[in-house]
Amino acid sequence: MGLVITGLSHRTAPLALRERSDFNRSGAPAVLDALAARTVVREMVVLSTCNRAEIYAVGDDRTAGPALKRFFSDFHRIPADELAPHFYTLAGPDAARHLFRVTSGLDSLVVGEPQILGQVKAAYTASVEQHYTSTLLNRLFHSAFATGKRVRSETGLAEGAVSVSYAAVALARKIYGDLSALRVLVVGSGEMAKLTTAHLKAQSVHEITVVSRTRGAAEALAADVGASVLDWEDRQVALTAADIVVTATGAPDVVFSKEQIAHVMRSRPGRPVLVIDIAVPRDVAPEAGSLEAVFLYNLDDLQGIVQENLTRRSSELAGAERIVEEETAKFTAWMQSREVIPTVVALRQRFESIRRAELNRLQGRMSSLPPEAVAQIDYITRLIVEKLLLTPTEQLKTISDDGLAATYSDALNRLFELPSDSPEELANRDSTPKT
Amino acid sequence: MRLVPVLLYAAATAAYAMHFAWRDERAGRLATGLLAGGLLAHTFLIGMQTMQVGHAPLVGTTAAISAFVWILGLVYLYIELTSQERSMGLFVAVMLVVLAALPALDAEVSARPAVLQSPLFTVHIVAMLCAYASFALACVLGVTYVLLFQEIKAKHLGFFYGRLPPLRTLDVMNGRAVSVGWIFLTLGVAIGVIWASQIHQSPDPRLQAMSLADPKILVAFVCWGIYSFALYARRFIGWNGRRAAWLSAFGFAVVLVNFIPVGYFLTKSHNF
Repeated sequence: MGLVITGLSHRTAPLALRERSDFNRSGAPAVLDALAARTVVREMVVLSTCNRAEIYAVGDDRTAGPALKRFFSDFHRIPADELAPHFYTLAGPDAARHLFRVTSGLDSLVVGEPQILGQVKAAYTASVEQHYTSTLLNRLFHSAFATGKRVRSETGLAEGAVSVSYAAVALARKIYGDLSALRVLVVGSGEMAKLTTAHLKAQSVHEITVVSRTRGAAEALAADVGASVLDWEDRQVALTAADIVVTATGAPDVVFSKEQIAHVMRSRPGRPVLVIDIAVPRDVAPEAGSLEAVFLYNLDDLQGIVQENLTRRSSELAGAERIVEEETAKFTAWMQSREVIPTVVALRQRFESIRRAELNRLQGRMSSLPPEAVAQIDYITRLIVEKLLLTPTEQLKTISDDGLAATYSDALNRLFELPSDSPEELANRDSTPKT
Repeated sequence: MRLVPVLLYAAATAAYAMHFAWRDERAGRLATGLLAGGLLAHTFLIGMQTMQVGHAPLVGTTAAISAFVWILGLVYLYIELTSQERSMGLFVAVMLVVLAALPALDAEVSARPAVLQSPLFTVHIVAMLCAYASFALACVLGVTYVLLFQEIKAKHLGFFYGRLPPLRTLDVMNGRAVSVGWIFLTLGVAIGVIWASQIHQSPDPRLQAMSLADPKILVAFVCWGIYSFALYARRFIGWNGRRAAWLSAFGFAVVLVNFIPVGYFLTKSHNF
């Protein structure tokens, strides 16, 4: 049994394919249940964001990868051949390194962006709640969160507004120059909408209007940033007045068609509009970008601006990658010994419990002995147990081969009837703050 | 001496190109210095010519081109020094070198005929040259607008994205340059019409030819029409941005046609 990651991301797959690979449409519980029903992996976490759709799992080293690929293909109804060029499978330390890079923001569209850490936590929590994680994934994800925090605190990777939102603001500045006289329309009220709005607010734009299908959510966002709210039905009117439009809804269909935008543009000749469509699936029909005064950018399009930021922060990247490598090495060392450590602990507990049970059983016979003698017996028996366990413990810890370690652990578990590790106990243990 | 300005303009062009390509501030400062040096040499040359013939060297197409280059250089230098924006420098400097080559090759200045001694003639020429300089700047702003617009529209943010000012800045400056140019052009044409009506009785066949039938005058009115439409379209039908940029580039192309081939070969009225 080993760690395996499969999926696709903005680095390997175009937006159109990522839209079709969105697990969030079905909801995390449904996806996890569907995957569990196949019984191809033991532990699983499904991470689905605008930029990636990935399955983190623990399963058979040889069969888990292909099985997960089949599941991915079947679940999204994407032919395997179409998927193949964009799909990756990573195992062992490479898989751990990948997740550590993801949570650090190193694999993000905009390097260092903070949202990904929260998205990974949400995906992990969904799996924990359904009991689809155990020792390995619990440890992996907690190590990943710690790595993400280390990178953000020890390097300048996340300093400044390095995010999709920042990229959008930089683009707006290149089109309009001074943003202080501009009107901004925010369509949607999710996290991305909130972040972008906050960035634009920081540019002292003239006015921000929020429209959302959920009036309450729009009002909450508007209250945070000092914006006004319009009803969802009035979005066309709001579009007419806007210089910058940020769309970030979770709507499965297009919110603004080319015809709708063309109609609006006819009523405001000479005034261009910058449309930042950061929703996946896209909120604005891509054809609208062909209209003369419409600058339409979706998530993929922002990549160009991101490159500029990447270059500027290349010195920070090296430091961040070094942290990821350190954490990957630590995790790999743990992973190699993971099969034997619980076994060693359980073995020692087993021997200790036998020793105590025997001492208790003989307590009657030892009652006539002076307390010093009883203490000596306790000391000698403990020493014997220690001596007996010393060599096997050392031998087990030096096994670097995953398969061999598992075989030894299985043998010891059977021979000594050792209790199995409880996932809940491990999860609790992992979630305690590390010093 | 007559080659010094054009050589300095050429050196300034090379320095502006280095500044534009590598965003090297030192190259930028050198370019500004070379341009200023070129303009100083040009001023000296014009001063010498003025002393030589006893009046401003504005008679004839070659002299007019030289004066146009001088005005354009000065206006650009003023804008650069006040805005600290050098990215237009390369485009303007290329234009200066190309146009300054003509007077550099033929530096002879014509003496002014008696009929051109009216102050109206001088005002007419200066107004027209100021208009053309404004239109040249509008053309450069328009071309750079289109280059940046195409990069942003095509989502390939690269060479020009990192070097040119924001689109709106280019558009607003283009609008202002066209407006200023139109005011000078209107003034120049109006004064030209008044002056022509005053000297229409002159036996000089060139003055007899001062009518709409003359290509130089006809194309000047066409230019006025183009720029009037550009202003109207920007204000009333929302033709700003790329449309305005193309229109100002087209307008300046017509100006150049009128200035050089028509001025040299076709006109019967403006060949003093």
